[in-house]
Parts: sequence; structure tokens; C-alpha cells
Amino acid sequence: MTFLSNSALFGAQKGGWAESFRMPLVVVLSFAIIITIIAWSVAPQLFTTYSPVVGVPADKLLGPSTAHWFGTDHLGRDLYARVVYGTASSVSSALVAVVIGVLAGGLIGLLAGFLGGWVDVVLARLVDVLLSIPKFLLAVIVVTAIGFETINAAIATGVSAVAIFARVTRAEVIKTRQATFVEASFLSGGSHWYILWRHVLPNASRSVLPLAVLQFGESILVIASLAFLGYGDPPPASDWGLLISIGKDYLKWPWLVYAPAFITILTVLSVNRISRWLRKTD
Amino acid sequence: MASQDRLSAALIRAITVAPAPQPATPLLRVDGLSVSYGRQDVVHDVGFELGRGKSIALIGESGSGKSTIARAVLRLLPNGAAASGTVQFEGQNLLALPERRFRPLRGRQIGFVPQDPGNALNPVRTIGAQAMEAAALTDEPNAAVRKALILETFAQVGLDNPQRVFDSYPHQLSGGMLQRVLIGLAVLPRPALLVADEPTSALDVTIQKRILDLLSRLQQNLDISLLLITHDLAIAAERTDGLVVLKNGSVQEAGPTSAVFSSPASAYARKLHADVPALNPDRYAKLRDPRLRQHESGQAPKIEVSAVTKTFAVDGKVLTAVDDVSFTVPAGTTHALVGESGSGKTTTIRLLLGLDEPDSGQISVAGERVSGRSQQSLRSIWRHLQLVYQNPFTSLDPTWTVESLVREPLDRFRIGTPTERSEQVREALANVGLGEQLLIRKPGALSGGQRQRVAIARSLVLKPDVVVLDEPTSALDVSVQADIVEVLLTLQARLGLTYIFVSHDLALVRQLAHTVSVMRRGSVVEQGSVADIFENPQHAYTASLLESIPSGISATRPLVQPKQRRLSRQEQIA
Amino acid sequence: MNNAYLTYAAKRLGQAVVVILLAYVFTFVVVSILPGDPITSVLRNPQNGFSEEEIAEIIAAQGLDKPIIVQLWHSLSGFLVGDLGMSMRSNRPVSTLIAEVLPSTLILASVGLAVAMILAMLVAYGTRFVPKRYGQGLLRGFPSLFLSVPNFVIGLVLIHLFGFQLGLFRVINPDSFWATLFAAIALGIPISAQIAEVLIANLDKEAEQEYATVARSRGLGQARLFARHLLKPASLPVVTVIALTIGELLGGSLITETVFGRTGIGSLVQRSVSTQDLPVLQAIVSLGAVVFVLVNLIADLLYPLLDPRVKILGGQKRRPTTADETSIGPSKAVTP
Repeated sequence: MTFLSNSALFGAQKGGWAESFRMPLVVVLSFAIIITIIAWSVAPQLFTTYSPVVGVPADKLLGPSTAHWFGTDHLGRDLYARVVYGTASSVSSALVAVVIGVLAGGLIGLLAGFLGGWVDVVLARLVDVLLSIPKFLLAVIVVTAIGFETINAAIATGVSAVAIFARVTRAEVIKTRQATFVEASFLSGGSHWYILWRHVLPNASRSVLPLAVLQFGESILVIASLAFLGYGDPPPASDWGLLISIGKDYLKWPWLVYAPAFITILTVLSVNRISRWLRKTD
Repeated sequence: MASQDRLSAALIRAITVAPAPQPATPLLRVDGLSVSYGRQDVVHDVGFELGRGKSIALIGESGSGKSTIARAVLRLLPNGAAASGTVQFEGQNLLALPERRFRPLRGRQIGFVPQDPGNALNPVRTIGAQAMEAAALTDEPNAAVRKALILETFAQVGLDNPQRVFDSYPHQLSGGMLQRVLIGLAVLPRPALLVADEPTSALDVTIQKRILDLLSRLQQNLDISLLLITHDLAIAAERTDGLVVLKNGSVQEAGPTSAVFSSPASAYARKLHADVPALNPDRYAKLRDPRLRQHESGQAPKIEVSAVTKTFAVDGKVLTAVDDVSFTVPAGTTHALVGESGSGKTTTIRLLLGLDEPDSGQISVAGERVSGRSQQSLRSIWRHLQLVYQNPFTSLDPTWTVESLVREPLDRFRIGTPTERSEQVREALANVGLGEQLLIRKPGALSGGQRQRVAIARSLVLKPDVVVLDEPTSALDVSVQADIVEVLLTLQARLGLTYIFVSHDLALVRQLAHTVSVMRRGSVVEQGSVADIFENPQHAYTASLLESIPSGISATRPLVQPKQRRLSRQEQIA
Repeated sequence: MNNAYLTYAAKRLGQAVVVILLAYVFTFVVVSILPGDPITSVLRNPQNGFSEEEIAEIIAAQGLDKPIIVQLWHSLSGFLVGDLGMSMRSNRPVSTLIAEVLPSTLILASVGLAVAMILAMLVAYGTRFVPKRYGQGLLRGFPSLFLSVPNFVIGLVLIHLFGFQLGLFRVINPDSFWATLFAAIALGIPISAQIAEVLIANLDKEAEQEYATVARSRGLGQARLFARHLLKPASLPVVTVIALTIGELLGGSLITETVFGRTGIGSLVQRSVSTQDLPVLQAIVSLGAVVFVLVNLIADLLYPLLDPRVKILGGQKRRPTTADETSIGPSKAVTP
């Protein structure tokens, strides 16, 4: 009996503040990871004393240890430092990609869904065209056309995401436009543009937000893939995808692949978990 | 009942439950049943008994736990629900049986008729394929005989073309037909107990009666015990031997129907009785009647609809939604549009509001023509003509607060100064009985009744002359409905409002309307004063609508049907 | 095969043709108009060692001195009759270059798709039979985990574990059975995660439907409920999801071929990107679009015949909502 009431008490406490936001533990953990990642990208020098560029040749290819958490690479550079310093460009480029996707796709979807008619027909075809080109190939040709740089890889990733956002926004706008409360606002004297701005947009964006978060994780992966193929900034930049790409030539020292891969996976997994939670809580 | 006898002969009772129960043992005995989802209790300590061949109704409003009890008896609770207590069926506790031993009872001994027939059959399999599952429970070895049994059963439940039904997919049949199929499949293995969970609440009024008649007939002919779950006191009183009144998961009152119905002991049962429109036709007479007398003197009508017709093109076919409809409404009175789904009542009010253009005919409100106007000039009409929607769960923007929702019409029509608007919002909310603490809430944090009050406040904040009420209570519980009706009639008496009241619920219409138009398939079949129509219906359809209303216990005087929840789309198609 | 279906089919076919043509134009515009002028920058790159005469010759041969519209017309009309032009680097027809590497990629992609489908079914259907305490959570976690792993990492891990540690295959011999199989697994896993995610969601949704409860009330056990009632409605919508993953398959093979050192369309793209061989890129991207559009066209035409819930009204496909609805894009996005 004592045991039972104790465990009940413990359960209540553990729920505590997180439950007041109705946030499961995994989501709290995910937010903690994302906050750490953001901190890495804002102030990498606070998290490591090693240089990401200059190595100690004598210490090359050391395994993970307390001195070098993720080991060292073929030039004796601390891999953890390389990962931490590579965060800013990996994360901010994903952000750029999402912003491009949300803004361009959202605008297309909004206009197509709200105006309807021939605007919708034309924009829907445009979106079909964007969808028809395999996403990764699309990103590759765009980055080929505008040049191999991480920022261009981000733009290319953003362009390849436009279609998805356009499609989802359009569907949401059409759904919202047919909602009873939109007609109710019309009867209350609201004009079309007022309704678009005050009713349709806020409601449609409620489901675009989780998608944007999801796309953030997806963009990290796509940009990493582009970097892996060498379409991002060249070394000594240390984008996560580039680190893994360098590591693949040293598979005898697998931490060179596993450490940056682990951080990438952890980040994307956290982002996806948050997106799922947003979608559920709405 | 010749087919009935052949059917019975062919059926083999597969399971005999040993040991043979004492004659005195009831078929079903529920004791101390509690069900919880996680930390939330939905049913506490419920107990009742159901004898062989008898029927009992579990009555309650939403959240009363009535459906949960039914599912606990069937052991079909969703994952995460925990049930305690005992459910004794022929002497054995169902809750304690291992799944392996309980499963043979399902279907064979305990049949189930679900609430929404449109969703209760697998959409990608034919009805026949699913019927064969039920027929397999009879243990008849010959597949051809099993199929013949199915076709006989379909005929027995009133399906005209059993073979066609057998070959159909569910979406090809109407809701009423699907419910017949489901009832047929449930009784086919001849269970001892039938659990029916709101079997008619998704159907139209006239079909409702036929399905209930069918259930009662089968129950008596086949000697099945019936556990009926319903929100409808009048239906329960008319069709069952015992009543169990539930609220928030607890039994409020239980006993023989006659006792509970005619002299309810608990406060909740009394309130439930008082709130059912069918049982209290004169409840609002004081609020309603004086206005009618004032206007018998006669002035220009507030609303005039003359010879309005509207057609739609659907899939290349022309559908006449509204056919030559005319009516007038004197100022300060309530005119009801009554009809089943597909009768054209919703289209009529959309025309009245100028949301659709009629093909021909004229509509005027307060002397101003509605039809043929530009959007800009419609705005000036909406200043005085407002609508309350059927479903408060969809008519309020979920991202807005109550304050901004009620204030929106004032802002849009630029009425008064911002400070005056804030005051008017508070006044409008006070009028519908809502306090200021709700101002900052969003619709998601309100109950259904509160939402509909917000919707009414929003319509009335402009101080309109005419309010169109589109089934304003059909999504709400009966006690909430009574509150809302009271609010509406009080406001009408105070502000002299003119109402158009759309409903399928004749009992409710009798309580609050002055005049009525009965609609069917787009046309008005009969119109006049409420008293005339109800006492002396001229048209056969009106009479059948009145007849299809449950009359409560036969000993009491004729009762009228209370509300139903939803109208099924299938019925419209059919 | 009624009239409504034929109208719908004709309309979809017309749309497909329009989309393919527009996709070609779009690709052309991207590779020729965007800033940077990759053509002359490559040609004038001293490393490539073209003389001015050679440059002029190439420009004339490719028609690069003509106005852009003329170039587009020339290129598009060639594409329509199956002429994909000449490579700018190797002076061979693009179609020959593609034909040389296509079989390898087709093998990789089809084995990859098979792996993806089998794995997805095992995982998703497994969630119906593996009890909660014996690792159902593990199966349910599969999609979200593998949607978060870059697909080149999967390839590297497989090479590290099975190539280096267990010695099952060697990267030097990329066309061996084991190397091909593991390349296909690396390609298939992320795609199986997408399919499994939709399948699991559909199964969960169907299991919660009233008809599943009613079927259980007729005494059906877990296995028969799954086989007779859940399997078909949950799996049918996946036809369209699989069609949408064709794009992923093409994009993924680009990376997988690099990781496993295979020759194929992917490596051809890689080479053409690094040499800025635009006619080859134009051809591959357009063919990718053609494949994608055709596969999705077939899926869209097939689906109404498979699923009795779908009704075709006014030349459009309509269906009561199921878990996947409109918007599983070719990405991993499953919209709420």
C-alpha cells in the first residue's frame, strides 16, 4: 500500500511542469536537444576549446576518449569541435530552405486555393511540374545551375520543397474557405480579403506549422546529402554531410562516420518528434 | 411469419452454456461496473438486471457513460479502458472470461446493432461477404443454405431485393437500408441478447420509427432480450420494460418504465422529463402566445417569400431543390420550416439570406428585396438579418476568442465607437446568459451549449430584426436544448425579434413556433398555424411525420417525438 | 469501365502530357537561364583546354548562339521524337550514354523497391500481431527512425558492418550479388519507412472504425479481423504512395551509387554535374519526370478500379477520407 501511494505521488511529480503543457518526456528531451544544437551554432566556441581547422598531426585518427569525445580525424583535428563548428552552417542552411519553401509555397497555395478559377488551374499545373521532377534531382540541377556552395544548396533544397508547401497550403485554404465560420464571417459583413487574412490564413497555417518543422528536419538531410556529394562548401568547412563524406574514406576509423551521423540523426529525430507533437496538440 | 419458422428451423444453436442457469437468474446482470480511461472515470458503480425476452433502456445525455456500458458488456471497449465489477451473462462473469472463451459468445449469444450504419460495414467488401461472417456463426455446414438464410433474413427485416443487397457495397445503400442489414446480421445467429447503441439517431424521423418497429417486432418474435442505448426518453418509454437513467457515469434512477416515466423520483430524471419537448408541448406558452395575439391585428409581413424555385445541376442531372415555395411571416413571430433531410429547407434559408440566387420568385425581408442584389447591397440587409448555424462546433473560428467573435459583426459594420462595441459585446453575452470570464476563451474551451450561446450572441449583437435559426439545437443535448430555447424565446419577447426556425423536430416546433410550413422534396406540402397543423393535419405526409413520433407509454396521452441528432447523408441519396 | 471513368482517364492522361512537357521546359529554363552561365564558364575553363575555335564549334553544334526560344524549340522537338541531343563533353549521343548505365540502375531501383515494400509490410503488419510488451513499440519506431537517417549513412553503415567487418562483399566489385543486395537495402530502407508510416497509420485508423468493432462483435478474432477487414482498406491507398516514392528511388540511387561505387544513372548525373554537361542533365531530369508522371498516372488510373470507395464525379476522383488522404507528397511529408 505504501509502495503504491508512493509511486502514485512520484508519478504526479514527474508529470509536473511538463504535463502542465501536456508535453511528453520525449518531446521535452527533443526540445533540449534542439536547444543544444542552436546553442552550438550560435556560440560554438563556448562548447569546445579545440580548433575545427588546425589539427595536431601527431594526434591523427585517435579513437573517442575523454580528451577527444568524438576522436580525431586524419589531420589530427578534434572531430567534436568540427561537428560543433559545422552546426551553424548545417542548421542555418536548413532554415533558409524552409523559409523559401514556406514563403514561396505558401503564397502559391494561398492564391491558388483562395482565388480558385484559372489562377488555381495555372498554379496547380506549376506545382504538378515541380512535383514531377524527383526532388533530389531537382535540388541537384538547381545547385548545379547556381554554383556549389552551402547557401546555394539551401536555396536548391528550398526550391524542391516549394511544391509540397503549395499543395498542403492550397488544400488547407480550400478546406478552411468552405468552413461554416468563414460564411458566418461573410454574413457579419467581412470582405473577401479580410476573411482571407483574419480567418483563412490563421487556420490554414495551423497545419502548415508542423509541416514546416518536419521540412526543417528533411532539409537537414537533403543539404547533408548535397554536401556529401560535394555540392556544398569545400573543406575546411565542416558541414555534417561533408564530415561524413570525408569519413567514408577512412572506414577503418568508423567514428569519423558514426559521430557526425549520430548528431545528424539525433537532430532530425528530435525535430520530427516535435513536429508530430505539434500536429497532435494542434 | 412462415419464413420466420423456416428460418428458426434451419438455425442451430451452437453454444449451450453450462451449467443451465436457474430460471430466476436474469439473462444479464451488471453489478458495480466501473470503467475508466487512464485516470478519468467515465462509469462508476453501475448495476442493473435484464430478464430473458425483456428490454431495458440506458438513457442519458452525452458523457453519461451509456455507450461505454454497452461496450463493456460486449467487451469492445477501446484500448486503454479498464473495467471493473461484474457483468453476469447467463450466470458467468463476462469480464473475467479469457478472450478465447468469450469470443464464441460474441454474435452467437450477444448481438450488436451500432449507432451509425453508414460506418458499420466495411466499405471495401460487399455486404454479402460480411453477411457470411454472421451466417458462419450459425454452424450451418452448407454454404448454400447459409446464403439462403441470409437472403431470408434480409427479406425478414424488410429489404425488398435481398439478392441485390447481398451483392452491393455499403456505399450503394441508404442509411435506413444499412441499418436493416445490420439488424438482420445481428439477429441471424439468434442471440439471446441484443445490444442496440442509439440504433436510429443517425436516421430521418420517419425511418427512425420503422427501424424501431422492426427492432421491437424481432425482439418479441424471436424472444431476444434487448439492451437499448438512447438519449431519447420518449423512445425508451415507448419501447422498453425498464429504464436506467444515467448522468456522468452514475445511475440516477432505475426501475420499471411505467414507474420511472410517470413519477420520476430523482431530480435529474424529472428535469430530463421536463426538457423533452414531446412531453411538454406548452412549456413556453407564456413566452410565445402573447406575441401571436398582438399580430393577429395584422400589418405588413416582415418576411415575404413568393413562388421561389431553385435548381442545381448535379452530375448532369437537374435537381429541383426548392420548388415554388411561398410563405409570409408577421413581425415578431416565429415561422418554422419542417422537413426531413433533402426537403429543401436549408436551400430555402440560403435563398432567404441571399447566399444563393433563386431561379425564379421573389423574397423580401422588411420590405427590401433580397434576390438580385450585389454583394455590397446584401451587406446592408445582413445588418438586419442574421443567421444562427446548426453546428456551433463549426460555425465559430477556433483560432479566435469569444470577445473577438462576438465583436466581429460590430467591427465589420463599423457600429459605434470601440468602447461602445466592447460594452455591446458584454451586453450581448449577458443576454444569452454568459459571464465575462468567458471573453478571453477560445471556442475549443467551451461546451456545446456555451458555443451555441456565443453564436446566438454574435447574431444578436447587431440588433437584427430577423434571425434565421438553422436547427440551432440539433447538435446539443436535450437539457441544453431547453436552455437555448428559453434564451431564444425570452429574447424574442423582449426585443420583438422575428424568427425563421428550421427543424426536423415537430415537437420542438410545437413548443416555440407560431406558424409552420411542412416541406418535402423541395415543396411545401402544408402550411398554417401550429395549432391547426398539429391538431388537424391535411396532408398524408404531415400525418405520417406526426405518426412517426414516439408516443411514450401507451397509457399516457399521445406524445410527440423529441429531437434526433444527425441526419444521414445516405438518406438524401436514396 | 463506364463513361465517367473514361472521361476521368482521358483528363488525367491529358494532364500527364501537359505536365511532362512543362517539366521539360522548366528544366531547360533552370539549366540555361539561371545566372552563372555554366556553359561558357565550363568551356572557357582553362583546365578543360578548349581552344577558341573548338569553343565556337561546340557552341554552333549545340545551337548555343541562337536565341533561347529557338534553342528550346529545337531541344523540345528533339525530345518529342526521342532525340536527346549530344553530350557536350564526350561528343556521343545522350541516349547512348543513358542506355549504357540504365540497366544497372534499373536493377538497383527494382530490388530496392522490392526490399522497401517487403520491409514496410513486415513492419506495418507486424504491429497488428506483435503484442505491446514484446516490441510493438520497436516496430512503430521504425518509420520515424529511418526517416531521420540520411540514406548515405545507411549505406556506409552497411558497408562498414557487412563489407569491412563480415567481409560479405567488397566495394571494389560493386556489381556482385551481395554488393547489389546491400546497395538495394540501403536504397530501400528510407523508402520502406515512408510506406510503413502510411500503412501503420491506415491500419490504426481502420482498426478504430466502427465497422471493425461491429466485425469483432460478430466474433472475429484478431487474425481474421486483420485478414478480412483491415488488410485491404489499409493497403489500397498505399498504391498511390508507392507511386509517389518513384522520385525518391531515382534521387536515392544517385547517392547509393556514389556510396557503393556503382556505375549507373546516378554516377552519370554526378559526372555530368562536375563537367557541367547540360544536355545529359536535361535528358536525365526530363526522363525522371516522365517516369514519375507515368507511374503516378498508372496508379491513379488503377486505383478507382481497385477501391470501391472511390467514386468518379465530374471527371474527378473522390473518396471518403482515409488516413493517407491527398497529401503524401513525394517527400516524407504526411500532412495532418
